[in-house]
Amino acid sequence: MRRATHGRPNRRRFLLATGAAVTGVGLAGCADENGGDPTGNGDALADDGTGSDDHGDDGGAGSVADAEPMGEPVDSTAVSWSDLGELEGELTIYSGRTRDQIDPVFVALEDEYDGLTINVDYDDNDVQVNQLVQEGDATPADLMYSQDPGALNALVDEGLVQGLPTDVVDAVPESYRHPDGLWTGVTGRTRSIQFNADRLADETDFESGDELPTEIMEFATDERFRGIIATRPNSGSFRGFIQAMVELEGEEETRGWVRAMVDDQDVQLFSGGSDQADAVNRGGDDDPIVALGNSYYAARILNEDPDAPIDLAFTENDAGCLFSVAGVGVMNDVDDPELVAGFVRHLLAAEGQEFMMDANGEYPVVEGVDYVGELPNLEEINPPEFDLSDFDMDLRDAQDLLTEEGMTV
Amino acid sequence: MKPITSYLDLRRRQIGADPPSSALAALSALVAVLVVSPMAWLVWQAATVEPARAYELILSSQTALVTANSVALMLAVTALSLLLGVPLAVLTTRTDLPYSRLWTVVAALPLVIPSYIGAIAFVGMFGPGGEVDTLFGATLPRVDGLRGAVFIVTLYTYPYVFLTTRAALLSTDGSLAEAARTLNASRLDAFRRVTLPQIRPGIAAGALLAALYAISDFGTPAFMGANVFTSTIYWEFSGFAVEYAALLALQLVAIVAVVLVIEAGIGRDQDASGGTDRGQPIRLGAWTWPAMGFVSALGVLTLVVPVAIFTGWLVRSVGDPIPSLAFQPEFALNSVYFALLAAFVACAFALPVAYYSGRTNSLASRVIERATYVGFAVPGVVIGLALVFLGTRTLPSLYRQGVWLLVFAYVVRFLPQAVGTVRSSVLQIDDSTLEAARTLDAGPIETFRRVTLPLIMPGVVAGGILVFLTTMKELPMTLMLQPVGTNTLVIAIWEAQNALAYRYAAVPALLLILISGLTMVVMLRQEGYGVT
Repeated sequence: MRRATHGRPNRRRFLLATGAAVTGVGLAGCADENGGDPTGNGDALADDGTGSDDHGDDGGAGSVADAEPMGEPVDSTAVSWSDLGELEGELTIYSGRTRDQIDPVFVALEDEYDGLTINVDYDDNDVQVNQLVQEGDATPADLMYSQDPGALNALVDEGLVQGLPTDVVDAVPESYRHPDGLWTGVTGRTRSIQFNADRLADETDFESGDELPTEIMEFATDERFRGIIATRPNSGSFRGFIQAMVELEGEEETRGWVRAMVDDQDVQLFSGGSDQADAVNRGGDDDPIVALGNSYYAARILNEDPDAPIDLAFTENDAGCLFSVAGVGVMNDVDDPELVAGFVRHLLAAEGQEFMMDANGEYPVVEGVDYVGELPNLEEINPPEFDLSDFDMDLRDAQDLLTEEGMTV
Repeated sequence: MKPITSYLDLRRRQIGADPPSSALAALSALVAVLVVSPMAWLVWQAATVEPARAYELILSSQTALVTANSVALMLAVTALSLLLGVPLAVLTTRTDLPYSRLWTVVAALPLVIPSYIGAIAFVGMFGPGGEVDTLFGATLPRVDGLRGAVFIVTLYTYPYVFLTTRAALLSTDGSLAEAARTLNASRLDAFRRVTLPQIRPGIAAGALLAALYAISDFGTPAFMGANVFTSTIYWEFSGFAVEYAALLALQLVAIVAVVLVIEAGIGRDQDASGGTDRGQPIRLGAWTWPAMGFVSALGVLTLVVPVAIFTGWLVRSVGDPIPSLAFQPEFALNSVYFALLAAFVACAFALPVAYYSGRTNSLASRVIERATYVGFAVPGVVIGLALVFLGTRTLPSLYRQGVWLLVFAYVVRFLPQAVGTVRSSVLQIDDSTLEAARTLDAGPIETFRRVTLPLIMPGVVAGGILVFLTTMKELPMTLMLQPVGTNTLVIAIWEAQNALAYRYAAVPALLLILISGLTMVVMLRQEGYGVT
């Protein structure tokens, strides 16, 4: 499936190079269901260059969605950094992702463009969101780079982010971004089952990771997990998982699952993803043997010690292998909309996608950049498709559900 | 030698002699208002919670549980800190323990290590898969949950009690206890009936700091899986329910207010005995070796274990390099810079409050002094967010430009450490000294500058250094308010831990201990606080 940038008479064409990219890269998984107008609803901030209602209203800053087109169309199979214009100026990014994960791509961009300076503020993802909410439009941040759609949606709810240029919006399948283009995913990952391979074979009735259930619901009912399973309930990723489960299995079943994990399985709860993966890997008598969490923690441990016993498994086509994205939202008030737009384009260009695939073992979100790495292909895992910006159950309710069922740290 | 009963007279005279001016009172009140101002944000946020929901939150069984756990953590840490800190202070000041300088440093030094780093090191050494396990195939009984948190927090918090008790012992007259001995009181009796009442305010001051540290700590209980009040506050934050978090934080403040009132009762009647005669040291005799063994064991647990673990991480680097985590010298410079600024500003803020409350015994002075303690009991992330809001609303153009807001945040949280030590030294000024200055026609300002300030300087320096040390190890507010992109030692440790690449935490952690340790030695060499 391809989508070109034609047929939108009222809209300027942005990033002509990406027009080519869009043609070349292709955009599967992104059926043209809303008439090629991703910003079709009334909240659209990118429309028609008529200016904005609830963002950028101080006039001076201008909106990123109105950023100038860059360069001439380039007929290539994938948009490359060299097809995009130079990045020049200073950017301030609040990041909920960790330095080891995304600093390399920032450094690469700074190496590529002499005139570019990227200031990054690292903190916990949820702290960043809370801080941005308190800062309001006085924030020094141009962008928030989050590891979790829930955090980006929270910024949308607070009216803190503005629309992205249409070419950017069009480049990303709708389920991986906000429908109105108020944030976009940049890379993706699935939830996974971490386990200590040595202990699984020696101390449990499972011979190997291959025997682990492929349905997440069984992790709460199979007695073999009793006392040996863990999770980390305070992450955005886990809340997304709960929201997805509610959608797939129903709220009552989800409550039952949470309750069974707490009451029957005596789940160990961690407040840090690193601590949890450390404990699985460490393998002491009281440490968990199996844990639900993101896959990149295991990748990090294996980077430090290739012989480490931690390993990964995936459920199939359920909330347990929820595909979710890390992504960016642009704050209302930015100094240089062109620069911000250009920066986001660079993240979604082939080099940006490949960079994070290599460094973090993440999946690309732009179709046409093929995943190469040690994790199973998405076709194998077959994660369910969701609109990550609009779960049936909102984030607050998911949090309350966990509190009510006693799964808190 | 003064009879004990004369202390109250002395105190009355003191207060009568040089009533602090109303300008001083106003200045103290201004400091108190400034450092309590972030609480306004808490109230404002909490007020947006619907009454029914607020009721539910405050009275929920979860809140009751974490309140009980937090109070238990606080009481246990305080009690254990007293059990460790007071005997250690007596041991290093009143006995013939050999190498008492060394043991003083060993007993005080754990304060420089962030407790959650101590926790990580402890598990890395004694936990399953840790060094001891690998070498000897043995692990200690599992240290986790509330008990684990009590254990680790105590190890890194008791030095508050040790330091304040030690300062009190150094500034009280040991010959009094000897007099009691000549009256046939046993040594224990003499300690209990003579020395203890003298040093009680010092002990109480340290116990209060330990208690407030314990109840506001998040990192260690979280690492240990203990379900405490701060966990609940963080849980609400993680769900972006800031108003719930604010409401809970206010509830924490209410608990702390009770503690502050109770401590105000214990710490009262701080006397001004300025005797320096420490009397004959207690001879340890056969107890010398067990005493040294005990302090050594404590030092191994609190200091050698973390240093050994960090060094182990460093020498065993096997993974691919992660250039973004590479150590840079400016991390250390930034840490020191922030901590120095915080120390200076905290001392400047502490001086009027401590002087006013030390020389006036009014309700107002008590309230002002107590008010400066509130910030120490509120988790850093809460103070940080409050200042984010207040900073962007008052001086938006300067927000995150420079370090003023960050330094103010440190002062809000750590001011009581300076107020406490400065106030103790103000209380020790013999009134006749000031009267003498006044009879020589020195005005109040000149008297303060030429007489009072030199006398209280050791207390000011000690307070500044305590603030310096706690700022060095502070994380959540630094992450929130530092000029964008500025890294410190503790941020580098945090980033390495996030990346599960502990080898990159080694150099910053070792440097943190080295720099803070040297600063601690400077503090202990201070006159009046001195290593003698």
